[in-house]
Amino acid sequence: MPELEFTPVIGIEIHIRLKTKTKIFCSCSTNTDVPPNTHVCPVCMGLPGSLPRLNYEVVQQGMLAGMALNCEVQPKSLFFRKSYFYPDLPKGHQISQCDLPIVAGGFIEVHDENGNLKKIRVNHLHLEEDVGSLHHSASDGRLEGAAISYVDYNRSGMPLAEIVSEPDVSSAKEAVEYVTTLRRRVIYSGASDVELEKGMMRFDANVSMKCSDGRWGRKVEVKNMNSFHALEKAIEYEIKRQKKIMLQGGEILQETRHWNDAKGVTTASRVKEFYRKFIVEPDLPPLIISQEWIDKTKAMFPEMPDVRARRYVNEFKLTPEAADMLTDNKALADYFEACVKAGAEPVRASHWVRTEVLRILNEKALKIDSFNITPDSLANLIKRIDAGKISTTQAKEVFDAMTNNNLSLDEAIKSCGITEGGIVGDALSSIIQKVIAENPDVLAEIKSGKDTKGKKLKFLQGLVMKETKGQAKPQEVAEALTKALN
Amino acid sequence: MQLYELNLHEMIEGLKAKKFSADELLTSCQNRIDSLEKNLNALITRLDDKKISNPSGILAGVPTILKDNICTRDIKTTAASKILGEWKPPYDATVWKLLRDAGSVLIGKANLDEFAMGSSCTKSAYGATKNPHDISRVPGGSSGGSAAAVAAGYVPFSLGSDTGGSIRQPASLCGVYGFKPTYGMVSRYGLISYGSSLDQIGPFARTVRDLQIVMSVLAHHDEMDSSSFREKNYDFSYDESKLNLKGKKIALVKEFQSFNLEPSIANAMDKIKKILEDEGAEIIEVSLPVVSKYSLACYYALAMSEAHTNLERYDGVRYGYTVQDASGLKEMFERVRSYGFGPEVKYRIIAGTCLTEPSRCDEYYVAATKVRTLVAQEFARAFTQTDFILQPAASSKAPKINELDQIDELKSYEADLYTLPVNLAGLPGLSFFTGYDDDNLPVGLQLIGARWSDPEILNAGIVIENHTGSPKIANGGLN
Amino acid sequence: MKLTKEEVNDIALESRLVLTEKELEGTVKFINNFLTMLDSFKELDLKDVEPFSFAETLECPLRADEIHPFENTQGIINQSAHVEDNLFKVPRIMEAQ
Ligand SMILES: [Zn+2]
Repeated sequence: MPELEFTPVIGIEIHIRLKTKTKIFCSCSTNTDVPPNTHVCPVCMGLPGSLPRLNYEVVQQGMLAGMALNCEVQPKSLFFRKSYFYPDLPKGHQISQCDLPIVAGGFIEVHDENGNLKKIRVNHLHLEEDVGSLHHSASDGRLEGAAISYVDYNRSGMPLAEIVSEPDVSSAKEAVEYVTTLRRRVIYSGASDVELEKGMMRFDANVSMKCSDGRWGRKVEVKNMNSFHALEKAIEYEIKRQKKIMLQGGEILQETRHWNDAKGVTTASRVKEFYRKFIVEPDLPPLIISQEWIDKTKAMFPEMPDVRARRYVNEFKLTPEAADMLTDNKALADYFEACVKAGAEPVRASHWVRTEVLRILNEKALKIDSFNITPDSLANLIKRIDAGKISTTQAKEVFDAMTNNNLSLDEAIKSCGITEGGIVGDALSSIIQKVIAENPDVLAEIKSGKDTKGKKLKFLQGLVMKETKGQAKPQEVAEALTKALN
Repeated sequence: MQLYELNLHEMIEGLKAKKFSADELLTSCQNRIDSLEKNLNALITRLDDKKISNPSGILAGVPTILKDNICTRDIKTTAASKILGEWKPPYDATVWKLLRDAGSVLIGKANLDEFAMGSSCTKSAYGATKNPHDISRVPGGSSGGSAAAVAAGYVPFSLGSDTGGSIRQPASLCGVYGFKPTYGMVSRYGLISYGSSLDQIGPFARTVRDLQIVMSVLAHHDEMDSSSFREKNYDFSYDESKLNLKGKKIALVKEFQSFNLEPSIANAMDKIKKILEDEGAEIIEVSLPVVSKYSLACYYALAMSEAHTNLERYDGVRYGYTVQDASGLKEMFERVRSYGFGPEVKYRIIAGTCLTEPSRCDEYYVAATKVRTLVAQEFARAFTQTDFILQPAASSKAPKINELDQIDELKSYEADLYTLPVNLAGLPGLSFFTGYDDDNLPVGLQLIGARWSDPEILNAGIVIENHTGSPKIANGGLN
Repeated sequence: MKLTKEEVNDIALESRLVLTEKELEGTVKFINNFLTMLDSFKELDLKDVEPFSFAETLECPLRADEIHPFENTQGIINQSAHVEDNLFKVPRIMEAQ
């Protein structure tokens, strides 16, 4: 009997917080760094009589995020009310575009197990509001068993984009690549910072199994994953669990399961998930997006990281690895390109950005936006190396001085005791005379003709270089020394 | 003659000419309330504030009353429901802001059917309001308190809300003018929602000219309401040169002609038709087959679907009635809602939930949204043939309060047949006074126009009023 | 299709309403009559009719992304009987089953 084969069929739903100053339906700030229930108003508290007002920027960011997923903007979309009772949901329903979304029909490319590119289709991205946050008073902070919960509505009404994939994902690895690539592209589009540690990206996965004997398992919805790692582990766990049941001839139940990150397992949800069909949000007329606005957005839509990396390889002759590393972060790539634009040789600039700049950013836990060496300064530094005015070793010293002491390039060179253009002529001659005077025995040996291999000459040369703090060109030192000895 | 008996424009002129002071006027109205309120129960909350926010505003010193589903900051707002408890909104509805900025003084919040669901003003957690023309009868509803207050001379004008006739029907039963503006003409921000796509705030007054004055204050674009009109301004000023119906077409709905009207309403229709013809208007017929046959079901399907979602927010966590000792969240929600909502509201919540269940949603809710499209299209076609539609505002005179129990729920819904199609299509409708019947009860009719024809309807209303005369102030059960 | 008492009771509970026996009986009768009334929609050909219509073909207005803090947040919080340290306190979410 041939061994049974199982193919996982996985769809992924992602919630991303869009980058705006105010909430989706009211003018409250989206800054969450405030005491509980501070950024609230009648609208995001769902008070009787209040009405939602759609934020322009949410629509703009939704379009950009959609374009990052290769989706088409829909000229007409609509908001609905999605009902359920929960204390973090102040109106008892969530306003969401669910059925008629702002953008639809895109894809993200990932590598399958053979390393070939495959498309994960994106069904759509829709706009919706976030709910408040719950704090549980059970000692372990768990939901279940907590005697009392506290609600903070600062998060209520934050703008979210929900991205729904087709069930094209076949493994946990593909899932992680899908969300990683998607995240990078969305950040690039400017629609969201997607800071994972701030909970700006949350995942649900629909996992089912197809067996080679023709059996299909039912779809299981796995919720509560807040990191790439959790997503990967949850899917791996669920695949294993379902496979085991099917191997034993059991039935997979259609259910919702929660990922328990601490225990590394999924558990069946005890709450009956009740999904009601949505009614139209009567307080928001249809969202109409003009072709003009779509065109304008396309024009401001930035080059995506994969396209950019390919360009770096072709245009700048970078290695694919270097190109990937640089384009991982849009701001870093922008920095690199600014260096190149300011005249730095691309390969050398790439090297400097990836090693020295990233080293400082890591050491100081900085973001590239707040890095104090401008791309122009770095380009000038690189140009001076290339012009032979300073050595690479010196340049690193200068670089450190620039960032540590907040100096300009010239100030840093001066502070490192480096004379612009190097030590030549009389200055060099007097150093040579001093070295010769201090080493009469070496001089005698050379004069005696015993230094056939030029070893002693090299020794003197080294002493001169040391005296000049490396600011003389070895070639010139050698010539001047030979001349002085003759 | 007492000051409270003056109509709005007379009060404004009198105050301006300093014939009397705002204080005297407010006192006169307060005294009127003192003497009648025990008979009528038109108000949920009485206020004795005399502060005038804008002494030079067009309504400076004029008292008013708002239906108690309109939010007023720091003033209890109940929607006539136990579930809102002693809730004091932290913000003002836009309409109240506009009136206050025009100098009006709020002296009461009016009774209504709970959450505006009803047409009798008896389904209130604060008791029934009585019709000031005969206190054994209902004032109509849901804005019964607002209508009764104007009819009885508490105030020269008040605000109500109209989701399926809640301004026009009580105006008719109480013998005052009531106007439901085009959907989007008046901001709904701060109106406690019932059926959001149908709700509209509008005024009651004892003359049409007074309605014009109030509409000139209320009809403004409000960025807080996404359904608020944006493009143009509407002129509600009183202009005699516009009071002319010559050559205008006024239609009767063909399908309604076979209905048996109460004699007093049938007589009123004849009387008004004659007046209109005398004014040079042409009476024609339009056919509205879908409107007449399917509006009722369509309206209630949509109203209840929207209502049940609008009422999901009442869970006792953030405001209103609540319990402290629930052992779990579900228990808390169930106890708050089961105690807080009255029977009619519960019916509508359950019906709305039922219609939008996944298994029934397409068959009922989605179908109703499509029927609404047909209704709106049919009206739009009709208004290419006619300027106005004339029809009753209520199917009968005001029922006796003690006879209400015998009316089946759904039967009582049918009473709204003449008014609710207007809300489905978002049209403006004026309920106007025509005279008194043999029982000395007022009889009203309704004039409906195309969307945004609000100023024209009011002008037509003045033409009719010039023939019928304005209503008298009701005695409110006093002998 | 007539709804049974149990079905209506389930719907009521979904809406977080616990009905008395008398209320339930009234509601069953009401709902069933109401659904019968709505069955009239079946007489109409709605296949190609646009759903989700609004009173007028409006466009959703868009608000500028500018912060305008609500000036009376305390007025919101004060209205709840469940506030503790500016948080809304609610009983446990999962009930024993
Ligand atoms: Zn807010």
